[in-house]
Amino acid sequence: MIEAPTANPTERIHDVCRRFGPDRENLIPALQEVQESEGFLSPEAVDVIAGYFSLSANNVYGVATFYAQFRYHPPGRHCLKICQGTACHVQGSGVLLDAAERSLGIRSGETTEDGDFGLEELACLGSCALAPAVVLDGVVHARQTPKKLNALLEKARS
Amino acid sequence: MKEITLTIDGQPVSVASGASVLDAAKALGIEVPSICSHPDLPAYGACRMCVVEIESVRGFPTACTTPAADGMVVRTESETLRRLRENTLELMMSGHPNACLVCDYRAVCEKHKPTPSKAGTSTRCGLCGNRSECDLRELVLSSPGRNLGLPTIYSRKKVERDDPFIERDHNLCILCGLCWRICDKIHGQPAISIVRRGKEARIAASFDRSWVDSGCTFCGACVDICPTGTISDRFAKWHGHPENKILSTCMLCPEGCAFHEMTENNRVVATRMTGFKPENRLCALGRFAYPQLLQDRHRLDRPLLRESGELVPVSQEEAMEALAAALDGFRDGSFLLLGNDTELRETKHLYRSLAGDVLHGKALFMAAGSGAEDLPEELADAIESGAIRAVLSAGNFLPTGLREHLDFLAVIDAFPSTLSASADVVLPASILAETTGTFRDAAGDVKGVGPALPAPEQARPEWHWVRDLAQRLGAEDWCRFRYAPEVTRTIGDDPAPAPLRTRPRDSVKDSLPTRFRGHFLADRVPALRAFGLPSTPAEETGADKRGFPIRRKEEIAPNFHSFLVEAPEIARYARPGQFIMLMASETSERVPFTLTDWDPEAGTILFIIEETGRSSRELCALRAGDRIAHVSGPLGAPLDLSGAGTIALAGGCYGIGAIYPFAKALHRAGKRVFVVLEASSHFLMYFEDELREFCEEIFFTTRDGSMGRKGAVHDVLVELLQSGDKRPDAMAAIGCTLMMQMATEATRPWSDVPLHVALNPIMIDGTGMCGACRVSVGGQTNFACVDGPFFNGHEVDWAELASRRGAFVQVEVEAMPQNGTLAAHPCRH
Repeated sequence: MIEAPTANPTERIHDVCRRFGPDRENLIPALQEVQESEGFLSPEAVDVIAGYFSLSANNVYGVATFYAQFRYHPPGRHCLKICQGTACHVQGSGVLLDAAERSLGIRSGETTEDGDFGLEELACLGSCALAPAVVLDGVVHARQTPKKLNALLEKARS
Repeated sequence: MKEITLTIDGQPVSVASGASVLDAAKALGIEVPSICSHPDLPAYGACRMCVVEIESVRGFPTACTTPAADGMVVRTESETLRRLRENTLELMMSGHPNACLVCDYRAVCEKHKPTPSKAGTSTRCGLCGNRSECDLRELVLSSPGRNLGLPTIYSRKKVERDDPFIERDHNLCILCGLCWRICDKIHGQPAISIVRRGKEARIAASFDRSWVDSGCTFCGACVDICPTGTISDRFAKWHGHPENKILSTCMLCPEGCAFHEMTENNRVVATRMTGFKPENRLCALGRFAYPQLLQDRHRLDRPLLRESGELVPVSQEEAMEALAAALDGFRDGSFLLLGNDTELRETKHLYRSLAGDVLHGKALFMAAGSGAEDLPEELADAIESGAIRAVLSAGNFLPTGLREHLDFLAVIDAFPSTLSASADVVLPASILAETTGTFRDAAGDVKGVGPALPAPEQARPEWHWVRDLAQRLGAEDWCRFRYAPEVTRTIGDDPAPAPLRTRPRDSVKDSLPTRFRGHFLADRVPALRAFGLPSTPAEETGADKRGFPIRRKEEIAPNFHSFLVEAPEIARYARPGQFIMLMASETSERVPFTLTDWDPEAGTILFIIEETGRSSRELCALRAGDRIAHVSGPLGAPLDLSGAGTIALAGGCYGIGAIYPFAKALHRAGKRVFVVLEASSHFLMYFEDELREFCEEIFFTTRDGSMGRKGAVHDVLVELLQSGDKRPDAMAAIGCTLMMQMATEATRPWSDVPLHVALNPIMIDGTGMCGACRVSVGGQTNFACVDGPFFNGHEVDWAELASRRGAFVQVEVEAMPQNGTLAAHPCRH
C-alpha cells in the first residue's frame, strides 16, 4: 500500500517510522524505508528517526554508517555505479573511479552540486566478463576506459 | 544469590551468579590483561586481550564476556594465549604510533626528557600528553616480547582541535569504545558513537558535527576514561598524571556539584567527576573552567590603595588601615555590601555581619551568573540619591556609571575590572579551590570545600579580610575566628543561594552561568565562547599590513611545517648555519629557527618549524597569505666546512631541514657529502629527495626500523668513521639535544674529527644581549646566538645545557594556548 506523500518531510519520515514499533531492533528496517522514500538519509531524517526510537542521532548515525547501503547525499538525476569487484579491480576499475571523481568533481558516495550525477562504487556486479564495468542509470556498460566513461557522462548530460 | 565455584589457574574461587570469568580472576588477584573492560561498564569484548582457555570450550573466549559457570576450569596463561595476546597487541600497535615503545634508546630519552614535548600531533609517546597514564603503553611495556612484526600504518588523520576544551587525535584510537559507552551510560543519549567501519571507523558525532552541536555536555567522562590519549583535555594533558586529588565542591553555581580537584605542584590542573555514574555528572564549567580561572594571568594579587589619584600597591596593613578608617565614617546606614551568592558560607556570614552588625548598612548577594546591570533598581536609586555613599563590592557588581555618586568604593576581587580600577581600595581575594569552608547549595545541603590550595601572592580568603577589617572597626571579639570551622559554628541557619533557572549539566546551550563574580567567564576561559557565552568585545586590532608575508606553508610531515616567507634582506645575506628569530604576532615570544634555504633573487627564505610548544603552535597556526609579525636575521655565525674534503651531515627531526643548506653548498663546491637522517618512524621523514640531490649517499635511520636501519644517526656516523673510503674529516649534527649528545658520545673515540653541533638553548634576543643562551664549551662561557650556534660537540657541557633548557617546563605548559586552532589569532584577518 502506498500512502499519499505529505508535503512536510519531517511528518513524512515520522509516518514511515510509525509503521514500526519504537524498539531498537526495528531501527535498520526503518532506516531502509526512510531511504527508500526520501532517497537518502539527511541529518534531519536521522534526527526524526532518533527521536522516534529514543536514541541519540549519534547512535543512529553510528549504526547507519556501519552499512554500505545507506547514503547521506540526495541521489543525482543520473546514477553512476562503478564496480570495484575483483575482476574489475584487476582491469583498472580504480583508475575509472578516479577519472569519474575528477570529471564530476565529487567523491564516491556524493552527488554533484547541480544534482545531475550521483557516484557510487559497488562490490561486484556479477558481470566479470565485461570488466571493468559501470552501471549508468541501470544500464551496464562493458570494458570501460576513462575516455569512454567521460563520453558516456557527456551523453547523459546532454 | 547463587554462588558459583570455578577453578582458575588451579585455584578454586567462588563468585556470585552473573559474574564474568574476568571478575572471578580479579577476585583471585589474577591479572588478565585488558583495555576495553571497565568496572563501571558492562562487558564489551572489543580489545580481545583477555582471552583465556576454558576446558571443554572451543577456541579462546574473552574472559570479560564469558559468564562464570559452576565447575569451569579456566587457564589464563599458556604459550598459545601469550602468542594470541601478543598478536592482538601487535595489530593494535600497527595502527597506533609506537616508535618510542620499540626504540632502543627509550630509557635514556625519557630520562633526558621527563615530560613529553607539547606537539600538535602525537606521533609517538615522547610527543603524547597521555604518556604518563596510557593503558596501551603500559600493556606494551609489560608485554615480554615487543618486536613489532607489522608495519606501522599512520593514517594521518587531522587532529580535531576546533571544539572547546577537548582535542581528538584519531591516529591514537584503538576503538575500544570506552568513550561512547561511558557517554551512553552517563547521559542515556550518547553524544558520540563509532561511525563508519573498517579502517574508516572512528569516534564521532552524527554527520561529523562539532561536539558543541552533538548534544555533548562536556562532562569530560570520555577524556577521563580514554586509555590512549585520543580524547584529551587541552589544558591538563601536558601536566601529566596529576600528583594529588582533593574531594571538594564546585562553587561556580548554586548546584554545588562534588568533584575532584586534580593538582600538580599544589595547583589545580583539572577538575573531574568523582565517579562514572549519572549522578556524578559535571557541567562544562565544573569540568573545565577551574584551572584557567585560578591560573588566570591577570589575577589581582596585591592590595592597592588610591594615593594622589593613582592605585598603588601597598602592604596589607596599610590597605586595612585605610579601609577601616574610611568605612568608619559610613555607619549611618549609607554602607552597602555587594557579595557573590555562591561563596563560602563563612564568607557570606561574616560579610552579612560586617554590613549589618558592625556598619549598620545593607548586604546583597548577587545570584550566580549576574553582573553589574542586575543590581536592583532601588539600590541604584539609593546610590544616585546619596542614601548609599560607600560600597564594598566583592566582585564586578556595580555599574561604573554609579561610581561617581559614591564617596567611597572598595573592591575585594580576584580579577581586575573597570570597577576595581576606579576603587579607592582593592583587596586581592582567594577564590574557589584556594579557600576552605562550607558551601550551601540551592537545595539547602551543606557541603565541604577544600582543603585550600595556595593563592597567588597576597590574595587571602575574603572572610580573613573581613575579620581583620571588623576588628579594626571595633568588633574585637572577631579575633576568635582563626580557622574556618570557628566561623562555621556561629552561622546557624543561613539562606540557600538562589537556584539557577537552567540546568548546566544537561546542555551547554543557553544553560551555563555566563559570569563569575560579575566577570564574563568567557573573558577568563576563552573556549567558552564556543558555547555562545558572552565576553567583553576585544579591542579592534585593525588589519595589520606590516610583517612578512607567508608565500607557501605546508605540513610536510606530522608536526613539521615548511614556510616560504618573503624576506629579501635575509635572503640576500644568509649563509649556511645561520638562523632567524620569529615572532608570530606583535605580542608573541621571540623564537629562533634555523634557515633551510633562501633565494636572493626571489627574496624568499625557507625554514621548517616543528610544532612542539606554544610559540611554534602560534606560528604553525598561520596560513599562506598571513604575515609573521617579525622575522629578524640572518643571525649567528655561519659555519664554513669547506676546509674538509669529506663531510658527514646528520639531521634529526627539525634538523633534517637544517642540514640542507650545508649539503647544497658543499656538494656544489665539489665536496664528498654523506647525509644521515633520523626520525622516529618512516612517516616522519621528509626532504629525502631534496637532500639526495646534494649528496653522494644518503642513510636513513628510524627508531622503529620502519625505514632504513633501526637506530640513530650516531650508529651510521660511527660506521662511516670506521670505514676506509667514506671516513669524514668533518661532521655536523643538528637535531634535539639528546640526539646531538648521543652523537657526541658515540664519536668521542674519533675526537680528531670535529663534530659541529647546533646548540638550541633558550634564546631571547638572539643578538648577544640577554645571555639566556649561555653555554659552556671547552670550559669557556659562550653565547649560542653570537658565538654559535655551532660548537664542537666534544667540548660541550651537555648536562648544563639540558638543565638550562628545562628551566621553564611548568610555565611552558601553562602558556599553551587554550583556544584550539587559535582562530582568534590577531594576525588572522
